[in-house]
Amino acid sequence: MQDVPELVIWIAKIVLIFGGMIATAAIMSLAERKVSAWMQYRYGPNRVGPFGLLQPLADGVKFIFKEELIPAGANKLLFRLAPALAAMPSMLTIAVIPIGTTAVIGGREIPLGIAQLDIGIMYMLAIGGLGVYGVILGGWASNSKYSMLGGLRAAAQMISYELTLILSILAIVALSGSLDLNEIVASQREIGDWNICTPMGVLAFVLFTIASFAETNRHPFDFAECEPELVGGFHTEYSAMRFALYFIGEYCAMTVMSSLNATLFFGGPSVPFMPDAHWALGVLAFLIKAGFFLFLFIWVRWTLPRLRFDQLMRLGWRVMLPLALFNLLATGAWIAFTGDH
Amino acid sequence: MVVVQRKELTLLERLYLPEVVRGLSITFRKFFEKPITRQYPEQPLPKDAVTRGQPRLVVKDDGNIACVACGMCEVACPAYAITIDGGETDRGIEREPKRFDIDMLRCILCGFCEEACPKDAIFMSDELELADFSRAALLYDIEKLKRPKSTLQKRIDYVYKLNNRWRRAP
Repeated sequence: MQDVPELVIWIAKIVLIFGGMIATAAIMSLAERKVSAWMQYRYGPNRVGPFGLLQPLADGVKFIFKEELIPAGANKLLFRLAPALAAMPSMLTIAVIPIGTTAVIGGREIPLGIAQLDIGIMYMLAIGGLGVYGVILGGWASNSKYSMLGGLRAAAQMISYELTLILSILAIVALSGSLDLNEIVASQREIGDWNICTPMGVLAFVLFTIASFAETNRHPFDFAECEPELVGGFHTEYSAMRFALYFIGEYCAMTVMSSLNATLFFGGPSVPFMPDAHWALGVLAFLIKAGFFLFLFIWVRWTLPRLRFDQLMRLGWRVMLPLALFNLLATGAWIAFTGDH
Repeated sequence: MVVVQRKELTLLERLYLPEVVRGLSITFRKFFEKPITRQYPEQPLPKDAVTRGQPRLVVKDDGNIACVACGMCEVACPAYAITIDGGETDRGIEREPKRFDIDMLRCILCGFCEEACPKDAIFMSDELELADFSRAALLYDIEKLKRPKSTLQKRIDYVYKLNNRWRRAP
């Protein structure tokens, strides 16, 4: 194990983590339909394979063989580019999430996480913020009213909620004293140290969770799609694999947001009451935590109705933003008075 | 003028989050309840004499169809789905249909033909499935419509029970 080149380990990590995320997206597409069915007294997909488990595969085959339509007046280059732009940022941001602490395989220490960036959180927010370009460009390049409106809404929504998202993360960064996600995880080794266990952490958690729903365009904030008003919103004109790319992007964004939620507030790979647990157990703990938030995304979607657009804006600017600012201020005061990092 | 009185929301309701949690708990409880949907091809719909499926022609026990090509059902049909060409026969009943077509794509399963028939020759069967790969295949001719009387007996009895005020048992 000692003489395996660094590059091989890197590639193995990339393949595992990135592949894992794509697999999660596929599982999520099935889980979404299954969970929604169970909540509505239905069975959900159960024809393809045992319990419908092969449904994502069948969907994939279908998406690949469907005809791709490009509207007559569309900007062809941007139309083709936009789905990739929408899917890429979330795939890039998974790189800095530590899915475990440091693995020890054959006497060699391997940090679990593709990249160990000092500014992990900054990187995530910077790249993650690009995700909205895919939606706006897709909406604009389609040359369709509905798509255009969907794209514009997405832009307005992102601007409103990104602020809250960043401010709530900032409070956590202040509490943990680092922008490095590995450091943030290291500062939450025991369950008492988890950021959710501080009063500001609770508020930040609520704000972050709500903002992450808005960021990923999920119910009850899915104004960019909004079927009853905008047909399909930004992806009205998309078909086949490009349409699927938007969905993969959405599910990947959900995966990243869930992972971030687990990392920032619930100690990521920290196992409750076992601070010195084996690293594999840590990975499992991380997966369970992230999995719960993924479930929460679906759960909320099939519970709450969509807000009205003015309600969304009012919630964003008049409730969430002041609360996030107050939370940051309170965090600062807490740190100043207790000297506690 | 209708004045809608909106319920004044309490503070907890206006905070929204407690209500969100309440909603989530409801959907979570439903999560474990038994589905009420039917797995259709494996669990077919329950059928009874009341089931008004596709119309079928009665084949009597002697092997001949009961229809005498009078054309009453053709007239009664609101969707113009039935086409009959009558012809002579030496069976002793003078007339029988040489052609009896029901365009199943037009048929609305209303049962008027069944009511109109004076010879108990056409009844609504309990056959509900209607799918094929071409329109031509759904133009049912006499051979496709024939059913032995025994398979339709439940429906026949039901219709007699329903109409026994003015119809004598055969």
